[in-house]
Amino acid sequence: MRTLVFIPAWNEEASLDGVIADVRAHIPDADILVVDDGSTDGTTERARAAGVLVATLPFNQGLGAALQTGYLWAMREGYDFCAHLDADGQHPAAEVARLLAEVRADKADLVLGSRYAARPEPLPGAPEPEPEGEDYKATWSRQIGINVFRFMLTLATRQRFTDTTSGMRAANRRVMKLFSENYSPDFAEIESLQLAVREGLRVEEVPVRMLERTGGSSFLTPVRSAFFIFKGLVVILVGQFKPRHAEAER
Amino acid sequence: MRAALLPLAAQADHVSLTPRTRVIAAVLAILFMLWILDLIRRDRLQERYSVIWFVFGLALLAGAAFPGLLKVVADAMGVRDTNVALFSILLLLLLGLALNFSVIMSRQSTQITRLAQERAIERAREQGAREALERRLNGAAEASDESAARAAGEPPPGAAD
Repeated sequence: MRTLVFIPAWNEEASLDGVIADVRAHIPDADILVVDDGSTDGTTERARAAGVLVATLPFNQGLGAALQTGYLWAMREGYDFCAHLDADGQHPAAEVARLLAEVRADKADLVLGSRYAARPEPLPGAPEPEPEGEDYKATWSRQIGINVFRFMLTLATRQRFTDTTSGMRAANRRVMKLFSENYSPDFAEIESLQLAVREGLRVEEVPVRMLERTGGSSFLTPVRSAFFIFKGLVVILVGQFKPRHAEAER
Repeated sequence: MRAALLPLAAQADHVSLTPRTRVIAAVLAILFMLWILDLIRRDRLQERYSVIWFVFGLALLAGAAFPGLLKVVADAMGVRDTNVALFSILLLLLLGLALNFSVIMSRQSTQITRLAQERAIERAREQGAREALERRLNGAAEASDESAARAAGEPPPGAAD
């Protein structure tokens, strides 16, 4: 059973080394691929120096296209499972390993790491080793977006999601096949969830701990957030009327 | 045909077009079509995208030559003022064109993304192949060192590949 962990990165040279080391430490049996989304800094060189393969997009195409490149690579190279996490150091690899365990055990086709799902308390006397670093806290404008998307997606898929924009996921080949062919570049996170549920795949959320970013900054300003939310709503609405591929194949 | 067109040409007064306007419109239409032809000739415009503009030019020319046509169209639309009919048609036509371009743009944007992804994957493959080759060359170099060392009584290395 071969596993790929891919890391979409756009100008993340500051945090990339740490993330790669983290993945190597916690998921030692996985191959690593960095998808450089047209960075203008030394992201590709850093990753190569760290000894991992790098798929460098010739120009910035957005997160959706970068993620799809990872799925495409996993599909073509014949990996059985794949997972991805952000390159900014927000996602502890130990948590990604837990997501991978779920798909390997065939409990779901696609597993998301959720910042907001309730996490079972560890038993007293047997404390879980927690990743070091400051816990993730959402800003108020992000809170609104999170809640709107949560509500809309739950309505659209009739399945409860708490962290719709989570960029920490694990998947099996069924998901790779679907996402490498159909992955909206505009609204990757949300539309892909909707798509996966509509195609009858088992999607599951696992509560995880995320950290404050170690490098770079969020691209969200209030105006962008509002536009982001509006676009998301349109995407979800339109997504409900898209033809199902499974039906088309039959 | 001639009998049908002549009254259309004579209705210029009804659609408030002066002879001067008609001449200007006709000249503009001809220049416009010549421009399109020139763009195609110099490979600046693909034929498949030129058809719509050519139709546009011909319509302008027809309107200038036979103002009665505009009256017929306006009547068919139920619009009393031919100017309103003219502007409505133009507006709808431009809207349709803009939408058409958005569709073409979306298609090309998808194609460009896939092209970029394929290139990225090729790069990763190249890197993998190059590193594997380098490892083998280094391995071969080390192996020849080791065989020399083995002759001196040292243990062989673990197989790398």
